[in-house]
Amino acid sequence: MTTRDEMNSPVDQVNEPILRCQDITKSFLGVNAVNGATFDVPKGKITALIGPNGAGKTTVVNIISGAMKCDSGTVHMGSTDVTNWERYKIARLGLMRTFQLSRELGGLTVLENLLVAPKVQAGESLFNIFFRPRLLKREERQNIERATEILRTYGLYELRDSLARELSGGQKKLLEISRGVMASPSLFLLDEPMAGVNPALIERIGGYILDMKRQGMTVLMIEHNLNVVEKICDNVIVLAEGRTLATGRLSELRANPEVVQAYLGEIINAGPHN
Amino acid sequence: MAQFWLAFGFGLVTASVLAIAAVGLSLQFGITNYINFAYGDFMALGAYFTYALNSEFLHLNVWIALVGGSLCMGLLAVLFNHFLLGPFARRFNKTFYVLIVTFGLSLIILNAIYSIWGANVRAYNMKIEQVLHIGPFLLTRNQLIVMAISVVMMLLVHLMLKTTRLGKSMRAMSDNTTLAMTSGIDTRRITTITWFLSGTLAGLAGSVLGITEGNVTPAPGELFLFVIFAAVIVGGVGSIYGAMAGAVLIGLATEISAAFFNASYKLDVAFVILILTLLFRPNGLFARPGRA
Repeated sequence: MTTRDEMNSPVDQVNEPILRCQDITKSFLGVNAVNGATFDVPKGKITALIGPNGAGKTTVVNIISGAMKCDSGTVHMGSTDVTNWERYKIARLGLMRTFQLSRELGGLTVLENLLVAPKVQAGESLFNIFFRPRLLKREERQNIERATEILRTYGLYELRDSLARELSGGQKKLLEISRGVMASPSLFLLDEPMAGVNPALIERIGGYILDMKRQGMTVLMIEHNLNVVEKICDNVIVLAEGRTLATGRLSELRANPEVVQAYLGEIINAGPHN
Repeated sequence: MAQFWLAFGFGLVTASVLAIAAVGLSLQFGITNYINFAYGDFMALGAYFTYALNSEFLHLNVWIALVGGSLCMGLLAVLFNHFLLGPFARRFNKTFYVLIVTFGLSLIILNAIYSIWGANVRAYNMKIEQVLHIGPFLLTRNQLIVMAISVVMMLLVHLMLKTTRLGKSMRAMSDNTTLAMTSGIDTRRITTITWFLSGTLAGLAGSVLGITEGNVTPAPGELFLFVIFAAVIVGGVGSIYGAMAGAVLIGLATEISAAFFNASYKLDVAFVILILTLLFRPNGLFARPGRA
């Protein structure tokens, strides 16, 4: 895979945020899972969200994507305040996400999993179904063409007519990512895309994420594999105990004693594969 | 043998009515994940709406009145969901509470029908049909039209589910509501549309039942509902295609059994099939893991 630095021009270095989280808090039964997390995600970049277990990374992603309501704080996508919006509204605004354990629409075929993804379609309306069949046919044809192209890119084309529940773990991971790509999101949240994946597939998924950036998408990914973070991420946000500890390039963060103490130290000590 | 084929013909008519009803119930169950015990009363109310348009107010042809009656039932189903069932379903996680509400709704509808139309049997204003000999079958033109309506409805439902975004969204919701929402599917809107379709199909099933039986009564709410449940469960709960297949199986089995045993055991035959299915294939004869 191409690395992040080969893709960034000097002009790209400063960028407006597509996502702005301010003072987000969330507690469960009195325990603070997120405790004032504040960070920006720059547009058109790949940003990693890292931190020790229990730092509140997934909770933050759940709050951003509308899967969970925060107790206080704000989430802005561009200039729109999306704090505690319903998740389908956030998705329609251009935010897609994946999950730590990949989820699929098991009773639908691989192709159909992609066809439900595009944000707004004429085929959603009963009126159009009965009175504008040509429009629907054209839309369906265009969606199938695009979905087929994506499935070819992600190596799932041969499985297009299989039920999603019949796929292997790695294939489900790819399906989840390709479903997100089908929606052409402006911001794609990936929750540990490399978790439980073999090294060859890690390389491939890394390549796909860089492709997303080339296509103009912004990616925010929770990731523990620092080799991957080093290779593909432009920016890193470190969370610890529900707070933003630091942001910057991973190389800069390695020199930050707070970050090393809270997170990187244990990762470095854990061995070379991290 | 002639008796068998006659019964087979009647079985196809019953299966046609049952298929429309079972698909409507299954669509709604797949999306909301609770059983609507008022569904039989939706059928009865739809039949009475058709009766009102056919014999009381506009004096429309029965086939046109049937369209109006079914659509009225569809709209009413949306209102029932919006103001009654939906709020309960959102408020309580346990589907048991919503089941009790659907029981209550069933009683309300039944008593509304009695108070508006009375307990007397009503009949649509339509010509008395001559019986036609078609191969080994003896069927009326109306019964043939009912079978054609059923086939067309099944094809439309199939096309909607397979080829439109709406259908795929319904199947996605039936599969995993959370993931469907995360993918940008407006689940409330899909739920509303599903209630409309389910109510319309219930109204249609009640109306064509009235046409094939030659009379309209509030009975579907009490009797036919359990045959529909049998068809849906035998086919595989929540599976639309299972509901279609279950309807054909139950429809044929009940009518053919009536030709050889006492006709009053028809319901019992449906329940024997239901019990055997639950014993040997608890997920239904045509169910795969997951739904619809």
